Amino acid sequence: MSIMQYNGGSVIAMVGKDCVAIASDLRLGNQSLGISSNFEKIFAMTERTYVGLPGLATDVTTLHEQLRYRLNMYTIKEERTMEPETFIHLVSSTLYEKRWGPYFIEPVLAGMQKTPSGAFRPFVASTDLIGCINFAKDFVVAGTASEKLFGVAEGLWEPDLEPEDLFETISQTLLNAVDRDAYSGWGAVVHVITKDKVVKRTLKGRMD
Amino acid sequence: MDISFALTGKGYVLVAADTTAARSIIKMKSDEDKIKVLSPHLLMAFSGEPGDTVNFAEYVERNLRLYHIRHTYPLRPASAASWIRRSLAESLRSRSPYSVNLLLGGYDTATHTPELYWVDYLGTMTSVPFGAHGYGSYFALSLLDRYHDPEAGLEEGLAALRRCIDEVSKRLVVSPGKYKVKVVDKDGVREIEL
Amino acid sequence: MNSFADRFSTTGTAVEQRRIKEYVADEEDVSDSMWGSEAGFGTIAHGTPNFMVPTVPDPSAFLRLHTDDHADPSCRIKIKHGTTTLAFRYQGGVIVAVDSRATAGSYVASGTVKKVIEINPYLLGTMAGGAADCQYWETYLGMQCRLHELRNRERISVAAASKYLSNLVYNYKGMGLSMGTMICGWDKTGPAIFYVDSDGTRLKGDLFSVGSGSTFAYGVLDQGYRWDLTDEEAQELGRRGIYAAGHRDAFSGNTINLYHVQQQGWKFIGNYDVSEMHYNGPTGTAGYGYGVRVEGRSSANPPA
Repeated sequence: MSIMQYNGGSVIAMVGKDCVAIASDLRLGNQSLGISSNFEKIFAMTERTYVGLPGLATDVTTLHEQLRYRLNMYTIKEERTMEPETFIHLVSSTLYEKRWGPYFIEPVLAGMQKTPSGAFRPFVASTDLIGCINFAKDFVVAGTASEKLFGVAEGLWEPDLEPEDLFETISQTLLNAVDRDAYSGWGAVVHVITKDKVVKRTLKGRMD
Repeated sequence: MDISFALTGKGYVLVAADTTAARSIIKMKSDEDKIKVLSPHLLMAFSGEPGDTVNFAEYVERNLRLYHIRHTYPLRPASAASWIRRSLAESLRSRSPYSVNLLLGGYDTATHTPELYWVDYLGTMTSVPFGAHGYGSYFALSLLDRYHDPEAGLEEGLAALRRCIDEVSKRLVVSPGKYKVKVVDKDGVREIEL
Repeated sequence: MNSFADRFSTTGTAVEQRRIKEYVADEEDVSDSMWGSEAGFGTIAHGTPNFMVPTVPDPSAFLRLHTDDHADPSCRIKIKHGTTTLAFRYQGGVIVAVDSRATAGSYVASGTVKKVIEINPYLLGTMAGGAADCQYWETYLGMQCRLHELRNRERISVAAASKYLSNLVYNYKGMGLSMGTMICGWDKTGPAIFYVDSDGTRLKGDLFSVGSGSTFAYGVLDQGYRWDLTDEEAQELGRRGIYAAGHRDAFSGNTINLYHVQQQGWKFIGNYDVSEMHYNGPTGTAGYGYGVRVEGRSSANPPA
């Protein structure tokens, strides 16, 4: 039994047309035993940057607290919000700092990146547990159902989905992938992020 | 193996833990109190590695007491739980980590809400309507899924707790005999005879 | 390894191998492929079927090395396991309920497994542990039960059928068979349940649950069980037991298969989706789920 599978849980993020979406399940388990069905793994770091932290649950909380602290210090010192692309580097270096005793988390990030012209472009990225960044044009996945998520997403995702269609795609991808994973599921939550608003929806998933 | 249960009800949290202190195959003691009173409205059931448990519980108790003295008011349950979790999470990556599992039951006097946190030795924390540690959880959680009521009065809550204890006594090979039960509500903390 | 003693021993795996070699040599003109597998049911004339075993000193250790995914998750062969099954006896007969999930590691390989094996119209067997082991031996048991009927002009008792199975698996003790089963039925003595496992344990009882989710099922079952349950209450209790396990145990779930055994034989009651039970319940009006049941109820107690 791998330490990455101890608590279970999965996250996925997808790019759409002028929007991004990030979704996760809500299970917290102790191996096969389900403990809680409201354990959120996705956190709003800024108004336009959301990070999902699947992996060992103690590190979900610890890493979230650590990132929140560092982001707040940046915001205070710089007097501006951090952009997603900057934030993923903050995540990366925070993880690499613990290179020889890592946080057992594989973060997934979704946000709207401000371009020099003042417009916004969708941005998703993920890292491994010691901070190797993976920039993607389509989608990123992590967690115990990652293989299943890759498979379903590869089949369902298409470019330039509108927010409503992206919501449908990411929801179906997540729900169907976690149904094939024993350690993920127990409800799900989806955030659809556009340049001026974020819509959060809780999904009814299978509860077994 | 220690067993502890906790459940919320209308305006209270019930916390129960067995009272046996065992070493290898021997029961050393059968009236050990494994539930600490951390503040006027906060209870903590602890279980796990012998030695670590009491040491960690006392460490937490003294620090929360110190906070109370310095500020004249105690930490609210959510903040106390957060601090305790952090202590465990930091200890996890130290040279000698604490191996202690906790159930934190508190009553938030500001919001008039009973709160219960399930915390394990890794520093995993989650808020639950009812929780359990040890082998008891494999029997009690499904039972409480069926019988727990967040609006239950104290008597109904105790009845649900009794069901858990009876079930464990019936099915677990090495089941402990006696339990200590404490409750926290708006009036503070008190012990209850089952 | 004491090879000298092995060569001349009359029990153990070395002897099995010798016997198989002799057997194959004897009938060289009639090849296995001509008749299909020799481990198939065509061998009834020979008595208990024979199985090829790998030619290594300890075949069961060899098999364990390559299949036990708890010891080594990277091994090639993953045996499917993880289950919840339950059966209980009451005034109106026997209730048998099982889940339908098969997992290989964390992968949910199937959600539509039939874990109740219909041995004959009066006997049911449940399946936990090795799926193939249970399926094969309980089907085999069904054939032996039929032969018993033909020979003795009366149906086999549940006690005898379960004893037959228990003796059979006991012969393979230590060879890596894995099964935990309940043989349920109705005979001259009334409703009966026997728990039989691959250790050779055989227990008569009123209420059993087997599998990774059994503790969760027991939690619900014990609290709701009475001898004088009505048929409706009993079926509901069986469903709730499996639901509870499907909900809490990662390796159980998907659907519930419910059977009721009465004097006139067993009856299949239905197949219920665990998630459907969670949200809506069997009648579509009251979900079993905790969150569904306590929706809108709060433990907050603000002064009026």
